[in-house]
Amino acid sequence: MTRVVRTGMPVVAWLALAAAPVFLAPYATTTLARMLVFGLLAASLALLVGVTGLPSLGHAAYFGAGAYAAGWFAKNVSTTAPLSLLIAAATGGVVAAATGWVAVRARGVFFLVLTLAIGEIVLQVAEVWESMTGGSNGLYGIPATTIGGEPVVHPAYLYWFVLAVFAVGFAVLWLVVRSPYGTALRGIHDNEPRMRAIGYPTALYKYTVFVIAGTVAGLAGGLFAVQQRLVTPADVGFTTAALALLAVIIGGAGSLWGACAGAGLVILVRDSLGPTLDGHGPLVLGVVFVLVVYLMPRGVAGIRLRRAS
Amino acid sequence: MGAWFDANLVSVLNGVAIGCLLFILAIGLSLVFGMMDVLNLAHGATFLVGAYTGWVVGGTDPTWATFLLALAVALGIGLLVGAGMSLLTEPLRRRSHLDQALLTLGVALIVAELLSIAFGNDVQAVDAPPGLDGTVTLLGSAYPTYRLVLIVVGAVFAVVLWALMSRTMIGTVIRATVADRDMVSAIGIDNRKVKLAVFAAGSALAAVAGVLGGPIYGARPGLDSTVLILALVVVVIGGLGSVRGALVGALVIGQIESLGRAVLADAASFLLFGALAVVLVLRPQGLFAGAAR
Amino acid sequence: MSGLVITRRRLLGMFGATGAAAALSACGSSLGGGGESSSGGEQGGAVKIGLVVPQAGVYAPVGLDLQRGWDLWLEQHDGKIGGFTATTVVGDEGETPQTGVAAVQRLLQSDNCDVLVGVVSSATALGVRDLVTESKKLLLVANAGAEDITGKAASPYIWRTSFTNGQVSGVMGRYLAEQGTKDGVFVLAPDYAAGAEATAGFQTAYEAAGGAIAGSAKPPFGKTQDYQPFLSQIQSSGAKATFCFFAGAEAVAFVKQYRQFGLADTIPLYGSGFLTEGGVLTAQGAAALGVQTSLHYTSELDNEHNKDFVAAYKKKYDAVPTVYSVQTWDAAGVLDRALKSAKATDGDALSKALDGVGSIDDSPRGEWSFEGQTPKQKFYVREVKQAGEGFVNAVIAETEPVGQDS
Repeated sequence: MTRVVRTGMPVVAWLALAAAPVFLAPYATTTLARMLVFGLLAASLALLVGVTGLPSLGHAAYFGAGAYAAGWFAKNVSTTAPLSLLIAAATGGVVAAATGWVAVRARGVFFLVLTLAIGEIVLQVAEVWESMTGGSNGLYGIPATTIGGEPVVHPAYLYWFVLAVFAVGFAVLWLVVRSPYGTALRGIHDNEPRMRAIGYPTALYKYTVFVIAGTVAGLAGGLFAVQQRLVTPADVGFTTAALALLAVIIGGAGSLWGACAGAGLVILVRDSLGPTLDGHGPLVLGVVFVLVVYLMPRGVAGIRLRRAS
Repeated sequence: MGAWFDANLVSVLNGVAIGCLLFILAIGLSLVFGMMDVLNLAHGATFLVGAYTGWVVGGTDPTWATFLLALAVALGIGLLVGAGMSLLTEPLRRRSHLDQALLTLGVALIVAELLSIAFGNDVQAVDAPPGLDGTVTLLGSAYPTYRLVLIVVGAVFAVVLWALMSRTMIGTVIRATVADRDMVSAIGIDNRKVKLAVFAAGSALAAVAGVLGGPIYGARPGLDSTVLILALVVVVIGGLGSVRGALVGALVIGQIESLGRAVLADAASFLLFGALAVVLVLRPQGLFAGAAR
Repeated sequence: MSGLVITRRRLLGMFGATGAAAALSACGSSLGGGGESSSGGEQGGAVKIGLVVPQAGVYAPVGLDLQRGWDLWLEQHDGKIGGFTATTVVGDEGETPQTGVAAVQRLLQSDNCDVLVGVVSSATALGVRDLVTESKKLLLVANAGAEDITGKAASPYIWRTSFTNGQVSGVMGRYLAEQGTKDGVFVLAPDYAAGAEATAGFQTAYEAAGGAIAGSAKPPFGKTQDYQPFLSQIQSSGAKATFCFFAGAEAVAFVKQYRQFGLADTIPLYGSGFLTEGGVLTAQGAAALGVQTSLHYTSELDNEHNKDFVAAYKKKYDAVPTVYSVQTWDAAGVLDRALKSAKATDGDALSKALDGVGSIDDSPRGEWSFEGQTPKQKFYVREVKQAGEGFVNAVIAETEPVGQDS
């Protein structure tokens, strides 16, 4: 029974996601698309935080870098569908590579604060580099992405495009987690000195996972630019990074699909519940957060439960 | 060189004043983390609770009586908040330190929202107590008296803390716990009581800093994250668990925010985090690491 | 915590169920309709207006004033606007454009609003330009001050009843040059788009009238609580006056510190009106005495319409109106005229009607008209004076109507 449920649930979930626009009103579809974009960001962060044990508060920097790159590309070069996304992923990867060598030398709280610093520095660059990013007004007027010359504006078609790219990004992360490389990452999370002792180059592993996570975050950023058609410095800094971290923790640090579900919840609370609570959505998020941290199953068992996803 | 120094001496002095305030704010965070490995991300929210206490009790134009009363009330509330945080993180004692830090983050969110619901979203300003709200002429320009007083308060506090840490039993226990927590509990001192005491004291200091910072920072939503980030930077640069480190870190950040902005105006927005990144790259454990890690 | 049966999976399941319940209310279909705007406003004389204002966070006080101005107008007109019965749906703009864009999307796609009013953040206003234009719905911007909104990024569906950043500070530039502070004004504004536009507006007008700047500085936006380095810079520059652009918490901190450091007595402070408008002035208190600012409104204006407006506002809210309240009040007045003339609620008809709406002569701010889809209006130079227990912005000078390109 559990075997059927285990393999059946993901299939049902993907089918439900694919069929969503048929049953949901346009705004709900748009919201679901937004959740997918953040879900991909959160899943890439889950790779860092949950699998490898590197808690980053600056992951939005790669998301934002990718978003700006995709937006700029769409405005100035071409709107053909996959191009801006490839540029976005590459930009995220490059920025992650540039900052990663510094980041992985630190551990625990120092890593947390250093990634926060990196995120804030990238945010300042976004504010100051007006010719590329539009400064504090943001990069607005990003044209809709085009497939075969036709702009994708209809909420349902845009959603399916987002879902397709999300699937690709998620698949990349899933493959990394399932591979021997992913197992080694978990080993590093559990006991880095021991992994080093048996011969793994842990620094290199941490650096490469940082770059992979940054690349997927960049891809999510490109998708964000396609979906929202506006990129502002707020998307690069601590606010977005904290939301992503919240999503990862709520969903279960070692779980990719959990991070996506967590992102969905965070977006739901912020955009849908927030207005009805007079804008006090963060209060609900804080309570949920505290509850989740308390109720998480003890130790390793919680993580092991997620390995199959 | 002399002329440059004259022009910027006021900024240097101001940097010391801000640094003293940051020291009082950050020392609690540093000790709690150094001793218990618990990163209290609700420290900024505690500061804001103190700031609002100062505004509510002292009012916009406090007298000496109301100002001192505000300090006392903030101290009490801070002790309670700290004790509460210590109890909240108790069940997570055996889980990862990240979990405890995240718990404090959740509490910080909740406290900040409750403050906004209770006191509204307007910016509130607080004046210094009478006699301290004037100016002193320094090197040809006026300088607020209150900030000079902050320097004195900070210096006195640093001396008292030094005496506490190096001359008393409590101080020895604290330093020993920072250095080797397990050994301290092995010789029979109850870690939980020590943690409760330090958490309470640290949060009380944060709340008091909120009242003291009122004439400069006021009280408003969003101030908690601003202050938390400053405290984090101070503590990480200075080294966790070290009083000397917190003092040096605070003074350095104070100078960066004052002299740094006066001299390097164009790069002003990058200074704080740039400095943090540089320190962490060169010395990942901070300038004065307190524990054998 | 041993023996706890609730696992994270179950918790997520519970949340998922709650979410699904919320989603059920979102049922329908996204297919078909080709993403066009819904045909609203044809249900016999009703119009649905989406009010986009920040309800929490640092801009919440502005959002509250915007909402109050709007609600007061509707109350005074029996809930009818332009002959249509008005329903207002409030969307929370939040603190960042992420929530702002989402709020506008919700109002357009889910609540099917016919007209949108509000928007405080310029980034949000610019960001929803394409969305509003593609939906062919009217957006009346009631605050956001970026020039591009009715300049480079103008759209026939986006009109504004507020101001442009450069317009407000340009007035002060001309005034200072004419008052005789011909050389030696120090210009200070935070390092972000609005600050840059305000500085440019001031400098262009001031220098065109013969003035010379003594120096300038750009404190980091949102990251400066202590202005001492900049105050020292002002003193050492030998400036005879300071012009600044600050709003919200930064305005409170700057004005207070300007007095604390003794500059208020020797180097007069001038600013763009937001420096001393609304709750900010209450927080500044006596520190703001003597500060002169330029703005297109002050509660002290001595005209019929303003007297009535202030009295009604005080009666309903027990507070004094601000420029933000007037901006939505006027938005309602303008929409009223447009609906009466167009007799329809779609964006094309309303946009055409606004083109011909002419002069607005019953506004508390004085007579004004649209030029380039943004107000061409009189400006007032105000000085902070004591009034009983509190402080007000008293009028000391008036200007001829000024457009956005002056």
